[in-house]
Formats: sequence, structure tokens, C-alpha cells
Amino acid sequence: MNGMQQPPPEIVLRTKGLSKKFGKRWAVKDLNIEVHRGDVFSFLGPNGAGKSTAIRMILTLLRPTAGSIEIFGKDLQKNRSAVLSRVCGIVEKPDFYLYLSAYENLKILGSMTRRVRRDEITEALDVVGLQSRAFEKVRTFSHGMKQRLGIAQALLTEPELVILDEPTTGLDPQGMKEVRELIKRLAREREMTIFLSSHLLSEVELVSTRMAVINQGALITQGNVSELLDREAMEYSIEVSPLEPAVALVRKLPWIEFLSSENGCIEVRIQPGRAPELNRVLIESDIEVSSFYPHRTLEDFFLKVTKGTSEI
Amino acid sequence: MKLFWFEIYKTFSRWRTYISFGFIALIVILTEVVMKLSANEILYRMLRSFEKDFLIFGNVLNGWFVTAFIMNSLHFHIPFLITLVAGDIVSSEATSGTVRFLLMRPPSRSRIITAKYLTTLFYTTGLVIFLGLICISLGLILFGSGDLIMNYQVPTIRIAFVPEADVPIRMLLAFAAAVWSMTVVASLAFLFSTLAENSIGPIIGTMAIVIVFYVVGNFPFDFFRMLSPYLFTTYMVFWQRFLDHPIPWLEIGNSAAVLGIHSVCLFSIAFAVFNRKDIKS
Repeated sequence: MNGMQQPPPEIVLRTKGLSKKFGKRWAVKDLNIEVHRGDVFSFLGPNGAGKSTAIRMILTLLRPTAGSIEIFGKDLQKNRSAVLSRVCGIVEKPDFYLYLSAYENLKILGSMTRRVRRDEITEALDVVGLQSRAFEKVRTFSHGMKQRLGIAQALLTEPELVILDEPTTGLDPQGMKEVRELIKRLAREREMTIFLSSHLLSEVELVSTRMAVINQGALITQGNVSELLDREAMEYSIEVSPLEPAVALVRKLPWIEFLSSENGCIEVRIQPGRAPELNRVLIESDIEVSSFYPHRTLEDFFLKVTKGTSEI
Repeated sequence: MKLFWFEIYKTFSRWRTYISFGFIALIVILTEVVMKLSANEILYRMLRSFEKDFLIFGNVLNGWFVTAFIMNSLHFHIPFLITLVAGDIVSSEATSGTVRFLLMRPPSRSRIITAKYLTTLFYTTGLVIFLGLICISLGLILFGSGDLIMNYQVPTIRIAFVPEADVPIRMLLAFAAAVWSMTVVASLAFLFSTLAENSIGPIIGTMAIVIVFYVVGNFPFDFFRMLSPYLFTTYMVFWQRFLDHPIPWLEIGNSAAVLGIHSVCLFSIAFAVFNRKDIKS
């Protein structure tokens, strides 16, 4: 008898053959992605890869040349209003009516989705730390404050899917950290599904559970972040004692590429899935292994799958 | 209705919206005060061509006459004031980037553009009503009431006499017609606003068309006279006909229909453009 099978994840967003052509150039071509409920899904790609175009089609700002978009299992074109009442997005930078206050902006933008109460607006502003500036004109806000106000309006209507296009662009390190924390909190505490595009790989690695990489408008790969990274050959640092016998042993293994040894540490590159085997071989040969950690980076992965075309 | 209210709220939260009202108030007050101070000169100029043939008595330079005079003088300036809002109402959303927020929301593009158009019409109507109210109220205070005597040059040189009792309803109809005329200008600026991503283009574009059409329609050459029936500006002064005697209802109906068709067509194009527009900015 097998153990309990996990139910298949609920697909919140699915694109099928999504394409957009501007003149003779395909900005997005045959894009098929799936975002599961509860994901913090990162949409990665070099500048000009088609991320923003895809997001704009998902948010109905652009009309697809071909293909379809399903959100919550419904066709977006046919159920636009019902679907978008459960979705919120910020494309590029959050732009507000500068001549209105933060409160008035949230009132107007929130009420376009559903009736919003005063206390809901106040709470949303409180979450992003803008309650004390609620009645000041947005004209006086810094870029970081506008970004947080954008997230407040995302919170306001309690969407199930939040789509953020480069949410930390133009922010200082503190602002970036705050927005990252907010994204994580939205996913964790409010069980929102987050779809975010970014070219900041460190940011993606810190917040994402799943990701897709596109380049020149086409999907390169998608999946669980850790699984995608584990799929590639990786470099490891292994702290061993004694060093010489360990180096001699590692050199003999056919599936390993020895790189260097220094200060009691061996640097190797091995195929995916071989790390436990290497660890076992070392221990069985009476070599003490103090630490064994990978040098995997999303940046390496990204550069590899996009074949170095990135402008990050 | 909610979208319309939001558009009204946004429009009237901007100081730019009040420029037009301020300008009208200023120009009307200035004109009427100067007319009051120069009453004798104006009366002389008004009556000198009729004095030999008619015996004219009573309060000729009254508030109604002053209102008609100012409306006649400002029918070229009001379109410019209308374009300040009508040319800006869609394009400013593109300039500021807020159009993205709007179009990602559940309300359809059709509802959004309709709410914006209704707001434009509301502003246009409000502006003309404001002009009427300030002209008439200040005119009656400064010059009093009386019969309205209008001097017409076209199609023949004549004077039209409207008894004092009939003037208020005639003025009401004239201002309603003025609103109808200005709706075409508003619709044109609105169409340009859906096409552009800044406010200057629609304002300049609309005014350029209005000026060229006015000039072409008024050139005293046969070729331009032939073109005249095809220019919407030819019909825009039809409000004056309500102050004529007798009222030429057929001509008024014809002008109103031509202007109405223009407004509907211009809005229909704006509606289609906005619904199919890709938001790339």
C-alpha cells in the first residue's frame, strides 16, 4: 500500500501558447506557464525578454496576438470582470493620482473592485507603515513610499493573486528589504499567491518558491526553485581532515571534477544527486567531514539557461 | 454611476479644472464693468444705424443684451477652456501611468471611457451654465432688465425684438444650444485625448481644427462657401437663432442634428480606440 498521495496543486494562473507580436517582432511567443496556489512565483528574464509584456497581457493591458490566459480556472477574456476582482497588480512602478491623498487614492482604486470601508483603508495603510501620512498628497511621497502604497492597495481588496512587475525597482536597500518582507508576509499570513517579475536574482532566491525563466519571449524553464537549481551540476566546498588522503580519494572518483584544495577544504564539481554518495565515500574511508555545502547560485543558473544574454 | 462619481471627484480635485471658471468670472466681470462705465458710447454705437428709421426707447442696454453680447464675443474662447479638461481627461492618465491601475480593475474599458465622457460633458455643461449664470446675474444687477433688441447682419441686416417676458426662456434655450455646440468641441478633444499620451497634443489639435474650420468657414470666397456646410463650426452658433424673431426652428433642428451626429461619431471612435488600445507605457 502506497502512502497518501498529495492532491495536485491548484493552478491559479495558466497561460497557453500566449504570444504577442509588435510589428514584425514577437515580444512573447508560445508562453506556457503555471502558477500554483500559495506560490511566490518569480518570473525571470534578461531585460527585453518579454516579462513585462506577458504580465501586461495577464492584467489585460495588452491584447494577446495568440493564446489564452486562465486565472482561477476561468478564461480571462470571457470572465474578465469576475477574474480581475480577485487579482491585483502593480506594473513597473505604482503610479497614483499625485493631487489626491493616499487615503483618497486607495478609496478610489479599491472601490473599483468592491466597496471598501474606511477602517479597511486605514488598516492597509497601517500594514505598510503609511497611516500617519494617510491624508497627505501622494505628490509629497518618495518612490519607496509610493511602492508601499502600491502594496497597500494590493492588500485592500484582499486579492487571491498579486502580480508585481519588478516591485523593488528604484528602491534603496532598506526599501528593497521592506518590500521583500511584505511580499513574504502576504504569502505567509494572507495566503496570497504572488507572481513577481524581477531581474534581481538575489531577491528571487530570497522570496520565491517556484520560478520560470524566459528569454527572447520564449519560456526556457519553470519549476520549483530548489529543484531547478539542484538539477544542474554544482560546486561544493568540503571541509575534511586529513586533507591529503581525501584529495587522493576524490581524484580517483570518475564522476567528479576536482577543482582545488586549500586550508583543509576541497573544492569539487559534481553531477546532481552525487553529493550524498561523495559524503559516504569520504566517511567510509575514515575521513572526517566537518562541513559539506554547495556553491549553487541562482545567478549561475540564470546565466547558464539564458546563455549569458542577461544584462543583470 | 460609481465610476462617473470617481471621475467627477478626480476632475474637480485638480486646480486646472478651475482655471476655466476663474477665467470666465474674470472676463465677464471685467467686460460688464467696462460696459457699465462706457454705457453711453455703447448705446450710441448700438443705435446709430437704426435711429433714423426706428423710435427706440426703454432700457436697451440691459442685462439680457449684455449677456448675448458676451456670449457672442466668447464663443471662440469657450472651446479652448473646454479642451483644458476634455483633452486631458484620458491622456493625463497615460502620462501619469494611472491608466494601468484603472484598466487592471474589474470595470470594463467601455464603462471607464463612458464615465470619462460623461464627466467631460458634465464639465462642459457646468462651464456654459456658469457663464450663463454669471453673465445674467451680474448683467441684471448692473444694467437691469428690459426687452432684448438684437442686431443681425446675416442673412440680411435686421433687428430682432424679443419682449422682456419671453427673454428668460429664450436665454435658457440659447444656453442649452450653446451646451450642445460645445459638446462637439468636447467630443473632439476627448477623441484626441484617447489617442495621445500627453495633454498638450489634444488641446492644441482641437484648437487648431476649430480655428481652421472657423477661418475657412468665414472666408468670403465661393470655394470656401462651398465647404462651409461640411464644417461643424458653421453650425456652432445656432444658439443665436433662439434670440431671433421669429425663431427659425427648422434651421435650429438641422444644426442640432448635424452637431449631434458629430458628437456621436467622435465619441464612437474614441470608444472603439480606447477599447482596442494596447497600454505599453
